[in-house]
Amino acid sequence: MNAVNTWNSTQHFWLIILGFIVAFIPRFFPLMLFTKRAIPEWFNEWMKYVPVSLFTALVVKDIFIDSASYALLLNKYSEMLAAVIVIIVAYRTRSMAISVIVGLIGVFILSMFMA
Amino acid sequence: MNKRRPNPKQVPDPNEPLWRSTLRVAMPLNLSYIPIGLACGILLHAAGFNTLLTGLVSLMIFSGGAQFLIATMLTINSPLLSIVLMLFFLELRYALLSSSLSPYLKGSSNRFLFMFAVSLNDENYAINYLKFATDKKWTGREALMVEHYSLLFWAASNVVGSLIGNALKIDLSIVNFALTALFLYMIVMQIKNRLTIVICLISGVLAAACMMLTKSTLGLVISTIIASLIGFGLEVTLRKRLPDSHWLWRLRSPGSKKEAVEHSDTN
Repeated sequence: MNAVNTWNSTQHFWLIILGFIVAFIPRFFPLMLFTKRAIPEWFNEWMKYVPVSLFTALVVKDIFIDSASYALLLNKYSEMLAAVIVIIVAYRTRSMAISVIVGLIGVFILSMFMA
Repeated sequence: MNKRRPNPKQVPDPNEPLWRSTLRVAMPLNLSYIPIGLACGILLHAAGFNTLLTGLVSLMIFSGGAQFLIATMLTINSPLLSIVLMLFFLELRYALLSSSLSPYLKGSSNRFLFMFAVSLNDENYAINYLKFATDKKWTGREALMVEHYSLLFWAASNVVGSLIGNALKIDLSIVNFALTALFLYMIVMQIKNRLTIVICLISGVLAAACMMLTKSTLGLVISTIIASLIGFGLEVTLRKRLPDSHWLWRLRSPGSKKEAVEHSDTN
């Protein structure tokens, strides 16, 4: 991964503003609405599955999909193995920091032994 | 989501100033933000963000997942619209978090809710939800202070990370795994029953298929919508037809004696 991006600071600034808006809408409006009236049941039931679905999709993208051609990649063995380690560590410790640090150290060591 | 809570051995001191008691509640989270914030700052620097903008994005978006995603999508030269759309779906989960906190913030002014929403985040949500549910004296004011402490630590670690990225040459493919590990951690924290694991598998296969078909990150958006609807449909059907199905059994979580953060049962 090289820094090949050609955006300038003004474009970054606008990205931040737009990002702020899309980050703000789902945080604010349910809070504003539902402190005044009840939450529809179906909305809650559906929203419950959005995080897991999205996180899994993002992990699959990071480990199994080539970022340039969007072809299936099944040879990132060090990442795959490190991912299994992270799952076990996250399940046992329930700590975000420990999971991330173990994952980083794991992928660093594994990538020295595997291509 | 974290299940951190203050050390039970520490007896609360009634004369302790508010800023210190809330800081003590927020401290485990603040410390865990440091390594992740550093990694995120390094990646944002590599994506071309200057230090000032790195600080700004940490203050305004305040979401580890979103900031990592910006960094990765910029390095693969995704178009602006595609990044913003991806961010929207990534941040959509906050609709769930903020609606589950809403019963505790009834009667707050819109100005307060605005401030609260801006600095809401997965991890400070977990802390505040737990405090609201267990501590009768915990109000919106304390919760907002916890949010601000975590925001401060997050933004500072990002800025320092950006400066480190400026000074050192770092292997980015390794730092980038911090994002994957962060998402894996969040998946593990979301798993409540066997059905969730099934949805994870469905979502994974769908995501790979959709991305290969669309040849873009739009596939992620499509697969997320389909997989979450399948999960919703499956749960409704299972509850109606087989209410005792073992697919709905709660999974035991080690490391926490009782289920502390539960959004599904409270509403």
